[in-house]
Amino acid sequence: MKRREFGLLAGTAGLALMSGAGRVLAQDMDLKPTSGETVYFRGWNFRTDVVQANVARYNEAMDGKVDYATVTGDYPALMEQNLMASAELDMFYANPSSACRYFDAGWVLPANELPAYAEIEAELYPNLKDAWTYKGKLLGLSYFASTRGTMVVNRKLFEEYGFTDADLPKNWDEVYDLIYRMKDKGIETPFLPHWFGEWFGISWGFVLEVINRGGTIADAETHQPTITTDEDGPYYKTLAAWKKLWQSGMIAQEVFTFNEGGYIDAFASGRYVMSPQQIYDIETFNRPGRSQIAGSCSLVPMGDHPWGIIDSGLYVMSNRERSEALTDDVKKFVSWYGFKDQDGKIAIAQNWMQENMLFSGYKSVMESPETAERIKKAIMRPEDYDAILKIYQNTPFPKGIWSVVWSEEFNPFLKETLSSFLFDDGDIVETLEAMTAKIEELNGKYGI
Amino acid sequence: MAVGSAGQAIQASTPSRKPRREMSDTRFAFLIGLPVLVFLMLVVAYPLGYAIYMSLHQIVFFGGYRANFVGLKNFIDVWSDKSFINAIWITLRFTVESVVLTMILGLCLASIMNQRIRMAGLVRTLLFLPWCVSSYAAGLMFGQLVRGQTGILTTISFTFGGTQGVDLMGRATVVEVLAVANAWLMAPLVAFFLLANMKTIPKRLYDLAAIDRLTAWETFRYVTLPPLQFTLFVFASITTVLSMKMFDMILIMTGGGPGTASATLTYQIYKRSFKDLNLGYGAAMSFYLLFFILGATFLIYLVWGRRVSR
Repeated sequence: MKRREFGLLAGTAGLALMSGAGRVLAQDMDLKPTSGETVYFRGWNFRTDVVQANVARYNEAMDGKVDYATVTGDYPALMEQNLMASAELDMFYANPSSACRYFDAGWVLPANELPAYAEIEAELYPNLKDAWTYKGKLLGLSYFASTRGTMVVNRKLFEEYGFTDADLPKNWDEVYDLIYRMKDKGIETPFLPHWFGEWFGISWGFVLEVINRGGTIADAETHQPTITTDEDGPYYKTLAAWKKLWQSGMIAQEVFTFNEGGYIDAFASGRYVMSPQQIYDIETFNRPGRSQIAGSCSLVPMGDHPWGIIDSGLYVMSNRERSEALTDDVKKFVSWYGFKDQDGKIAIAQNWMQENMLFSGYKSVMESPETAERIKKAIMRPEDYDAILKIYQNTPFPKGIWSVVWSEEFNPFLKETLSSFLFDDGDIVETLEAMTAKIEELNGKYGI
Repeated sequence: MAVGSAGQAIQASTPSRKPRREMSDTRFAFLIGLPVLVFLMLVVAYPLGYAIYMSLHQIVFFGGYRANFVGLKNFIDVWSDKSFINAIWITLRFTVESVVLTMILGLCLASIMNQRIRMAGLVRTLLFLPWCVSSYAAGLMFGQLVRGQTGILTTISFTFGGTQGVDLMGRATVVEVLAVANAWLMAPLVAFFLLANMKTIPKRLYDLAAIDRLTAWETFRYVTLPPLQFTLFVFASITTVLSMKMFDMILIMTGGGPGTASATLTYQIYKRSFKDLNLGYGAAMSFYLLFFILGATFLIYLVWGRRVSR
């Protein structure tokens, strides 16, 4: 090599090295807080140990001042009061339905404001990006994205009574047929319905079943009610099936008072054969020491329609009054926590996948070899992996009732109406008409 | 002149020697109480006034804050709300059961503590502990205890070969379960006040009762109970108010369910105000709760308090 060529090569290599190091350094610098003020992060109670560890890592690595605490109780209502009172709150968990409401009240700083927005947008699965976008703005970053209503099966009990894959239902009508067949064969509690007492219990149970059957409840664009009362429609069929199931005496009243933990525990106890559950809880049901059906929990593959609806959580930035420097720090923390850390890795989302198999909205997390390995470790049969991915990728989102300001007001109404419908032997048509009337009332209230 | 001067001097000095008129008791009490009154004005009158304002308005937060005057509409609409009527009955049932259970349990605990027992101090401490537990924690604990899935009765049932869980969270029994949990929380305080009262009963009355060969029940009925009447009346009133106001335990334990089986007035007020964000309607409901509380305590005073406080 000539001296001139060597010099050129060395110079180029040096520049390349410097630019690479510089990029890492710049990223590191970009995410470092500068205001010296505290960033307040609040969330619901889920694996607070993991969250605390994540926050501690940020504070240590980035010299941050993030204060993390949980909000216990009726989360959407309490969070709304906090936001209304302009509480010290910078980043918080929210479901998309709540986030829309907060956005309309002017309490949310959309993720479009983040410097890495273009990169974030490219990373998100389109169906999730659509679910999380409201009035053209991305409401927050991916905390988890799951399918609530994945039909899980306790294979131990299922096979013990002589059922095989051929008996697995392809749609909700077949689910109910199978329930009664199982009952006839002597299984006392074949089905655990999504009727539990949380704010996302019975009301979401209705929403997911109706959506799976092809309903929409309200129009995705205009939010006008689309509920029909014809006997072959998804709404009537859902309530008719519920009424029959309730009157069969197979469902204990205590289901209505279960919290989420109680609902998961009930299925993990091994007493039930089928239940619509959170997709990532398959890991919980198959975990030895945690579940009595460990190693025996499978799922019903997608048939005529997808199972469940998108249930997701976002990291949302508040829009409270604060200094510009602090707002910049909030954006940095949200970017670090909800997207990429100082090393350019989507570390938090990947960590959730490893810890609790929480699915992410980011392609590179869901399509990584670590994720594939993690999911395969949690499932009962190899074929469940493809079934999980197929269900996940096809899960619908009830945009008509969740991407609208009144979502969190309609939800408690639905919860109370559906419980009363079952307990008081309500009339199907009257119940559906009451839902339509409520949506019209809410649209009127908000001038929609 | 000297005399005159002296007399004038005496006259001149008389007014200053005249003793200053003492402040009346009422005035003194008013002055002493003034800071408290000012404090109460700030912490009670303002929220109360704001609640009245809200109850006469329809408050909208989204799409810009608006408060539209609606007069008494919220107060009138409440009466055509089935959930409100239902909540009144549930509250009544819960309150009556809570008060009766609390009084009985308090009386039993006080009677036990009034006996000469070994390690009396330890027993008293243990019996007082439930009062120290927050109603939130009590709600969590009782929720676990009475559910079919995790409950103690299910454990007992399974231990003795049963195959079915025992669920007390059903519509038929959920209010009674809440009343038991509420009584568990409040009874220790009642018991300690009753115990203090029992300690003031002269021992010779019990000696006389023994000479008259009264049975244990008769001794309790004619010697112990009469001096406790006033304390029982006071605590019946207090527990009535506390029960009608109870919220956090109900929210945690049952969330107003199953269905609306345990949705008391406080739960409905919370739901209307903070979930439906209908603050005006919720405020109107809360005034009805206030009237019911005042009415209930006045009724207790009329039928019981007037007699025992003489």
